Amino acid sequence: MAKYSWPEKPTLLGTPVKRLDGPDKVTGRARYTHDINRPGMIYGKIVRSPYPHAKVVSIDLSAAEKAPGVKATLAYMKPGDEVHYQGDPVAAVAADTEERARDAARLVRVRYDALPQVSSEAQAMAADGPKWSTTQPNTRAGQRAETGDLEAGFRQAGHIVEQTYSTHVITHVCLETHGAVCEWDGDKLTAWVSTQGVHQCAQGFAQALGIPQTNVRVITQYMGGGFGSKFAPDSQGIICAKLAKAAKAPVKLMLDRKEEHLDTGNRPSAFAKIRAGVSSGGKLTAFDGQSWGTGGAGAGSGFPLPYLYQFPNRRRVHTDVYINAGQQRAMRAPGHPQGCFLTEILMDELADRVKMDPVEFRIKNAPPLAPNAQWIKYFQEGAKRFGWDKRHATGDPTPGPIKTGMGVSAHLWGGAGRGSQAHVDLMSDGSVVVKCGTQDIGTGTRTLVAIVAAETFGLPVSAVKPEIGDTIYPFSGGSGGSTTAASVTPAIRTTSVNALDQLFAKVAPTLGVTPDQLAAEGGRVFVRGNNSKGLSWKDACKLIGTEPISVDGKWEDGLSSSGTSGVQFAEAEVDIETGVVRVKRILAMQDCGLIVDKLTAESQAYGGVIAAINFALFEDRILDRVTGQMVNPNMEWYLLAGMSDVPKIDIVLNNMPERGVIGIGEPPTVSTASAIANAVRNATGATIRSLPLHPHKVLAALEQERAGGTN
Amino acid sequence: MKAFAYVNPATEKEAVAALKIDGIAMPLGGGQDLLARMKDYIDSPDRIVNVKGLDATVTATPDGGLKIGSAVKIVDLAENAQVAALYPAVVAAAGEVGTPQIRNQGTVAGNINQRPRCWYFRNEEFVCYKKGGSRCFAVNGENQYHAIFGNDGPSHIVHPSSLAVPFVAYGARFRVVGPNGEREVPAAEYFTMPTLQNVLKENVLDDEELLTHVILPAPGNVKHGHYEVRYKQSHDWPLAFATVVLMMSAANGTTGANGTSGNTIRSARVVLGAVAPVPWRSRPAEEALAGKPLSEATAALAGEAAVSEAKPMSGNVYKVQIAKTAVKRAVMRAAGIKTV
Repeated sequence: MAKYSWPEKPTLLGTPVKRLDGPDKVTGRARYTHDINRPGMIYGKIVRSPYPHAKVVSIDLSAAEKAPGVKATLAYMKPGDEVHYQGDPVAAVAADTEERARDAARLVRVRYDALPQVSSEAQAMAADGPKWSTTQPNTRAGQRAETGDLEAGFRQAGHIVEQTYSTHVITHVCLETHGAVCEWDGDKLTAWVSTQGVHQCAQGFAQALGIPQTNVRVITQYMGGGFGSKFAPDSQGIICAKLAKAAKAPVKLMLDRKEEHLDTGNRPSAFAKIRAGVSSGGKLTAFDGQSWGTGGAGAGSGFPLPYLYQFPNRRRVHTDVYINAGQQRAMRAPGHPQGCFLTEILMDELADRVKMDPVEFRIKNAPPLAPNAQWIKYFQEGAKRFGWDKRHATGDPTPGPIKTGMGVSAHLWGGAGRGSQAHVDLMSDGSVVVKCGTQDIGTGTRTLVAIVAAETFGLPVSAVKPEIGDTIYPFSGGSGGSTTAASVTPAIRTTSVNALDQLFAKVAPTLGVTPDQLAAEGGRVFVRGNNSKGLSWKDACKLIGTEPISVDGKWEDGLSSSGTSGVQFAEAEVDIETGVVRVKRILAMQDCGLIVDKLTAESQAYGGVIAAINFALFEDRILDRVTGQMVNPNMEWYLLAGMSDVPKIDIVLNNMPERGVIGIGEPPTVSTASAIANAVRNATGATIRSLPLHPHKVLAALEQERAGGTN
Repeated sequence: MKAFAYVNPATEKEAVAALKIDGIAMPLGGGQDLLARMKDYIDSPDRIVNVKGLDATVTATPDGGLKIGSAVKIVDLAENAQVAALYPAVVAAAGEVGTPQIRNQGTVAGNINQRPRCWYFRNEEFVCYKKGGSRCFAVNGENQYHAIFGNDGPSHIVHPSSLAVPFVAYGARFRVVGPNGEREVPAAEYFTMPTLQNVLKENVLDDEELLTHVILPAPGNVKHGHYEVRYKQSHDWPLAFATVVLMMSAANGTTGANGTSGNTIRSARVVLGAVAPVPWRSRPAEEALAGKPLSEATAALAGEAAVSEAKPMSGNVYKVQIAKTAVKRAVMRAAGIKTV
């Protein structure tokens, strides 16, 4: 038996535990980076390039320096530097009020030599088009893979579908924008940062500022959304620290909504020209895909393709395309929503060719059942729960303008744990403190830390004080890749188990037994099998003495694993006279190994689904085709679902305690958009092969369908 | 944001006087448009004149209509029983404005006089006609939300007011006060099509004038319908919407003087929103409705007629279909026929 394991009969794990910081969040007591105010604090503002592509000729800070309230200015670029996107940081100011900082930033005189810009993938790929950079090419060869015998695969095909599919660029739109408050004490920096990784961020500050990492403390108690875009200090963090040093005062520098859209990452676009074959019996035979996409100015755009399903003979060739727009960053399941959409729409087209039900067709072509491959089970169970038997064939025959349809899609993710450290203190008064330098990015990590310790000590969750979100606590990694739960909870478990062993050692002589005979449950420490022979937790801890039990520990193998699967069903309604799509229902079948907190796990699934509805219907980074500037860097024309746009969402979590903990932050957002698009196709009979499902595309597809379809 | 002076006048007269300065003065209603423009450096007034203290009441007029004060909150309009009884399309339009917060804060005059929501106008980088520049970026740019009617002029915005459309449809008059006294302007003539001379504004209001009242005439024997198509259900701008006011030949279920059924449309006013630089009155739709029985078939004809003269731009052809549907469904609503 492994040294560490999860309890066989847990009392807390897998139950719905309310978020410990819920009351603080809803009452406004929770202080996000935006809410941090320090004595003598001033405000920073970045001057950004309005041009998507230009050479900086000169930067004149003199007028800004003389502006009212200005305490510091800095040039971030120098003459001769090239800006590669609208919003590229060029200079910065700090002033005593936010308004004065904004006004002063406008007084910085930057002269640019505008260069031709590339605003779309098509422009970048055109033979004689403009160049995004004066030194680098517009495209670069990306992923390339080939398996099996493609020609043989197509020979076996009874039907071949050949189409181009695409997804668009969306931004992270973190409700709390990126930014920091930086305060120096000599050469020691304290930075309150809206970040997904306090330790990673501290390393970033140290490297960029040339100071030892031990001189940097990063604090993130509450974080208003990152979705993969908040790991490094970024330009705004470094500028904030430099302004604070120059002004000899704490500086707050939080980005505004426009900056957030322009310069804090996005999900790259994805295009693929796909030729795929299916046997007349409904088995996939071949897949040949040429894909491309843009991650903006110099960043890649890779994604998995084909996604999930078993094409025995396949080829995929990808090209990264660069344009003059903000760089992509990891965004909630990077690559997967794109690969999933491109494959899943194709799957429904192929299913129609062989006249098979989409669920049946998918079951036939999904990987075989395995702990990390539950799709077949979810297709079957989900279809029953969703009422899939009521689904009509492609094209709702109901008269009237409202057509209803159902769609399905599947996804996978990793979610493995990795190195994380923790520290536990048991005090002689019975109080328990658990410290871990992880951060709660809104996912419930703080609550998970308390649950695992409380479960181990046999205490209520409220008896444990979790301390996180600060680099003074033991190292833990950034919260990305759905790794946090699987990294942090094993570390808390092992450290708590070791602390409990020490307590047992102190208690055992009093009870006249050996430590290995003891158990801790229900607020008591007692002899296993003889519940009455024991002490209350409080009395047991009195035996600790003056020196607390203080234990360091770390993540160990065996308490977590990797690989999750999920299937989602969607019902959508299309008004064929307006092209407006409304999502009516979503069912998400999902696993994440051992569920730690049912409520926060479900909450991740709800959030993922809602975010994906935005991806499917609303969000779109729109660049003006003439100037290359973003026309909707706001929340007015960059559309996001409100409460009335969110459908009924059912989450069915498959608890698999034998697998240990696996992350769930990303997978539930992967397949929703594809399921919705397939529901729209089922409703209307018209296939929309690109996102978002904007009314103009829906109406165009319907028009095309009336004219005889696409093939 | 440029530092500004704030004036809080007690009367119309004081408000008008406060607008006259050496510099730029602007009236402040709910502030949701003006303050955002100031923060985005689209406008930088020297003085702000709070006009929320002006008339905020809805009163009956001797001829059986209503007089609506400019400072009436949109929420109060949406919930006003008198307005609901006489002008249901106004209530429908008011209830569709923005969000509850915006309706709680926004005023009638503010809604009518707000500046365009065009993304080129709202982003400082684009110095368009409306900001003193020499081009409309929508022409060669991203025009999916721009005009499909009235595109002969230099600017291709769609007028942003939800309330203006039913006001025009009901034949409202706008009372305006200025340094030279007061005047009344028919709602339909208040809004101006863009020309190179007047492109900086969307209406006839002078810089020193204020819109103080909307005066609605007695509706008469009419049926009303209002229909808005928006993409999102929550906070979003309409893709197109329409108000129809149908003057019926006689009371329902009776026979008219010349033998026509009470279900016959004598004449109609059809006004579309979010499709043109002004609330767009559709004469072809009005002609298509006149003399016809009020039915779903007539509604469809009106929809077709409404867009017969549409001149969409490169990226907004789809709005033609949506405008057509809005008119059809507004007529259906007037007829009491179920729409989606």
